[in-house]
Amino acid sequence: MSYLFAAYAVFWALTFVFVFGIASRQKKLEKEMEALRRALERKKQQES
Amino acid sequence: MQFLNKTLAIVWKDVLAELRTKEMFSSMFVFALLLVVIFSFSFDLRVEKVAEVAPGVLWVTFAFAGTLQLNRALSAEIEEGRLDGLLLAPMERSTIYFGKMLGNLLFISATEAVMLPIFSVVFNLNLIRPAFLLTVFLGTVGFAAVGTLLATMAANTRAREVMLPVLLFPIILPVVISAVKLTAGILDGLPWASLAHWLRLLIGFDIIFLAVSYMAFDYLVQG
Amino acid sequence: MNRDSRWGDWLNAVSGVMMIVALYLVFLYAPREATMGDVQRIFYFHVPSAWVGFFAFFVTFLAGIAYLRGGKRRWDVVGFSSAEIGVAFTAMAVITGSFWAKPTWNAWWPWQQEPRLMLVTILLLIYFAYFMLRAFLQDEEQKARFAAVYGIVAFASVPLTFLSIRWWQRLHPVVFDRGGTGLTRPMLLTFLFCLLTFTMLYFTLLLHRVRLARLVDEVEGLKKRLYSGERG
Repeated sequence: MSYLFAAYAVFWALTFVFVFGIASRQKKLEKEMEALRRALERKKQQES
Repeated sequence: MQFLNKTLAIVWKDVLAELRTKEMFSSMFVFALLLVVIFSFSFDLRVEKVAEVAPGVLWVTFAFAGTLQLNRALSAEIEEGRLDGLLLAPMERSTIYFGKMLGNLLFISATEAVMLPIFSVVFNLNLIRPAFLLTVFLGTVGFAAVGTLLATMAANTRAREVMLPVLLFPIILPVVISAVKLTAGILDGLPWASLAHWLRLLIGFDIIFLAVSYMAFDYLVQG
Repeated sequence: MNRDSRWGDWLNAVSGVMMIVALYLVFLYAPREATMGDVQRIFYFHVPSAWVGFFAFFVTFLAGIAYLRGGKRRWDVVGFSSAEIGVAFTAMAVITGSFWAKPTWNAWWPWQQEPRLMLVTILLLIYFAYFMLRAFLQDEEQKARFAAVYGIVAFASVPLTFLSIRWWQRLHPVVFDRGGTGLTRPMLLTFLFCLLTFTMLYFTLLLHRVRLARLVDEVEGLKKRLYSGERG
């Protein structure tokens, strides 16, 4: 029984690590993209 | 005919270069010799009949020495910009693949030919038999077929010396297993009928990977 | 982008619900196996993990062919995303399998006695090599091309590897036998549902992973525009 529990615990732990890994990287990238977009905007305004 | 001539021209170019320096052959030979010596030291103390580990030692030696050849053959080609020259020559790219493959086959076979009598002496076995020579040939063809493709790939990366064995060995596993099994079977004097499936596997691997590598090589050297 | 994210939400919901149903089936619906006991319930997640791993490598193989034919960046993205998911699920299959093997075979990882375990070991090595190859190349286009070729060659060798390991083991005494997979009807139903759930989960993860890769590309593009603007 404890083996069953351990197997599922490890399985879910790994799945969550994988999913949250993707999710957090996605969030970080979205933020970075926002920042970059704003920087580009500012640059355009300065140039014009 | 044209195709054959051009392929042979590439092989001939490599043979000439090698004849001039004898760099590759001598380093491969010394390396193989060292491997045999190290293996016989590491097994002698614990294994009662050295003949039992001989097939494994033999093929590991061939695989390592062959890797040395593949690495050198293609990284030299790329380092010195000779591959670009070959690509500019008016011929199909697959010709280059077959040329390099045959060259590798030739050089590895030459080393093996010199190593076999030495093996026979060190392990006190008669290895010069037609069935065994056929096994060595087929195994080397499979090795050179995939090896030439992957060595071209590895030569383009950083850390190329490490890259080739990492890429090559997991893929070459069927060749190693079936060649070791055939060698052991021949040494034990098993009837051919009980070994035929290994021979078929080896031939199958050779055909499949010659075809796949031939088709894939084009994509490696473009651009 | 909008249509894409709607797809993502939809897939998220479906695989989430299916996962809950699968868990219910595994722990409450499926009967207790007579000889192995509750440990057998690992099987319902173990086999689908292995299946998804293998399927993911097959997708990498197909994406490799598609990339070489058309040279479209998106196929390369699908290829390496799928390989990544494949490695993750193969690792899960290995771990859940070990927890099953310990009480049943009394060994965590008897890989030299079981052809399937050996094949999985080789598969993991092959795809570690795949990612190493990518890491050691700089040019994106070359990376995609080489990885596609390696994905094809690697997958082509898998059947031969399995065959040779099978035959190789035939000469050894068969130490481990799976035993009759005499699944009763509810067990079979649970198993098939888990298989479906995992396949769904695979596509969900693939979609998100591909989207992540696309975001990386977009950010790179923006950065380039920003810096080239500075210079100009």
